[in-house]
Amino acid sequence: MTTQQQDIPAIALRGVSKSFRTPDGLQVGVQATDLDVAPGEIHGIIGFSGAGKSTLLRLANLLERPDSGQVIVHGEDLMTMSPQALRAARQRIGMIFQHFNLLHNRTVADNVAFPLRIGGADEARIAERVKTCLEFVGLSEKSDAYPAQLSGGQKQRVAIARALAPEPHVLLADEPTSALDPRTTQSLLEVLADVNRRLGVTILLVSHEMGVIRRLCHRVSVMEAGRIVERLNIDNGRIPPESQLAQWLREFGEGGASPELPETAGSHLEEVPNV
Amino acid sequence: MFDSILDTFIELLPEIGKAAGETGLMMLICLTAAVIIGGALGILVFLTSSGQVLGRYRRFNLVANGFINVFRSFPFIILLVAVSPFTRHIVGTSIGPLAASVPLSLAAIFYFARIIEQTLRDVPRGVIEAAEAMGASPMQIVTQVLLVEARSGLILAVTITAVSFLSYSAVAGVVGGGGIGDLAIRYGYYRFQTDVMLITIVLLVVLVQSIQFFGQWLARRVDKR
Ligand SMILES: Nc1ncnc2c1ncn2[C@@H]1O[C@H](COP(=O)(O)OP(=O)(O)O)[C@@H](O)[C@H]1O
Ligand SMILES: [Mg+2]
Repeated sequence: MTTQQQDIPAIALRGVSKSFRTPDGLQVGVQATDLDVAPGEIHGIIGFSGAGKSTLLRLANLLERPDSGQVIVHGEDLMTMSPQALRAARQRIGMIFQHFNLLHNRTVADNVAFPLRIGGADEARIAERVKTCLEFVGLSEKSDAYPAQLSGGQKQRVAIARALAPEPHVLLADEPTSALDPRTTQSLLEVLADVNRRLGVTILLVSHEMGVIRRLCHRVSVMEAGRIVERLNIDNGRIPPESQLAQWLREFGEGGASPELPETAGSHLEEVPNV
Repeated sequence: MFDSILDTFIELLPEIGKAAGETGLMMLICLTAAVIIGGALGILVFLTSSGQVLGRYRRFNLVANGFINVFRSFPFIILLVAVSPFTRHIVGTSIGPLAASVPLSLAAIFYFARIIEQTLRDVPRGVIEAAEAMGASPMQIVTQVLLVEARSGLILAVTITAVSFLSYSAVAGVVGGGGIGDLAIRYGYYRFQTDVMLITIVLLVVLVQSIQFFGQWLARRVDKR
C-alpha cells in the first residue's frame, strides 16, 4: 500500500451512466458523471434518498455495470477485464454495507478469512491476516463468536476487518453507519479514519448523514437526481457557506445545527450502543 | 386382539423385513437422484432468476422453470404409468422396487429442485453481493455462500422430500413396486387382513416421525443465524 503512485487517481469514473429497466419504464440511477478520488483521500458522496449515491458507488467495483463510460481503479480499466481478472481486481477493492452482510453461519474469524480463502491464500497467511485485522478493529476476543452474538457496531467492525483482510488499496462504504446509533457511529468513524490514516487506504463513502461526512471526509460530492451537482473540500468539518450543501443544511437541518439530511429520521435508534 | 397382532407380526417378520428393505432401496435411489440432480437444477434455477448472479441466462431459467412445473403437475400415479415404457427401457422391467425407483426419482428431482430454489431465496441478496464484491466466482458463491448460509433450510428440504416420497413409494406398491405399501395392499386390502394393515401403518408412522425428528434436530443444530 505504500507503493501507490500519487499522480494517478485511486478511483476514476469517466462519463459513467446507469439506468435500470423497471416495469414502469427506464429509471435513471446515474447520469453521465465523472468522479476522481485521489490516493489516500476519504471522499464522501452525500445526497437525498434516490439521488443515485449507492448506484455510483457500486459502479466503482462493477457490482453495477455502467451503460457507458469507464471505471478505472488504480490505473486499471475494470470494464475491459475478463471475469477472472475482474475477480482478482475486486480482491483489492474492499466493500462494506449498511446491513453488514456477514455470513451468519460462519464465525467471525471465518468471515474475515472468507475473501482470502476464495482468493486461494495459504492457511498461514490467512491465520496471520485474520489475527491482524481483528486486532485492528479491536475484536480479537470475538474470533470464535457467530455474527448473531454481536451488536450492530461489532458486526460492522467484523465487516471492516473482512474488507481489510486482502490488503485492499481502496475501500467502498455504502451508508456504513446508517443502521447504528450515534455513539456507535462515532467509534466506527474512528475505525474508518484509522483505516485511512494508518493503512493508507483510500475510502469512497456514501452517507446521507452530514455529521459522518464532516467528521471523516476530505472532499465531498453532492448528488441530486443522478448527477454530482457540487464538489467541495471539507476543511476541518467546515462546509463553504455559499455552497448548495450549506443551503440544504439551512433549509432542512435547522440552520446547519442538525448534522444530517432528513432522509430516514429515527433510523439511528434501532440498535443499543455497546461497542 | 393385541396378542393376535403380535402373532401376525412375528409370522410376517420376514415379509416385513423384505418390504422395509425394498422401501429403503426406493428411498435411497430417489433421494440420491433428487439431491444430486434436483439440487443442481434448483441451484441453477435460483442463480439464473432475475437479479441473481447468473440472471443474464434468462432463457435457461424460463425453460428450466417450465420443465419443473410440467413434471410437478403430473399426478404421481399417472407419471408412474406414463414413464413405464422408459422404465422398461432402462431397468428391463416395469415391476419391482428398481422399476418403481424410476418414476419416483423423476418426481423427486423436480419436487426437490423447486424446494431448493425456494429455500435459497432466504439467503439475503446483500450477502451474495458482498461475496461478489470480494471476488467470488459463481461456483464459490454456491459452495461457500449459498450452501453454507441456507444449510438448515436445505436439511429441512431433504427431510420434507423424504417424508413425501416415503408415501409416494407406498403408492408405487400398487403397481407392483414392492415395499411397505405393497405389503399393505396385498394383505390388508386384497385379503382383508386388517392387522397387517395396522402393522404397516404403524411402521410408516414411526418412520415418518423419525425422519422428521432427526431432520429438525439436525437443522436446528447447524443453524447459527
Ligand atoms: N436495481 C435497481 N433496479 C431498479 N431501479 C434501481 C435499482 N437500483 C437503484 N435504482 C433506482 O435508481 C435511483 C438511485 O438509487 P440509489 O443509487 O439506490 O439511490 P441512493 O443510494 O442515493 O438512495 C433510484 O431512483 C432507484 O429507484
Ligand atoms: Mg443508497
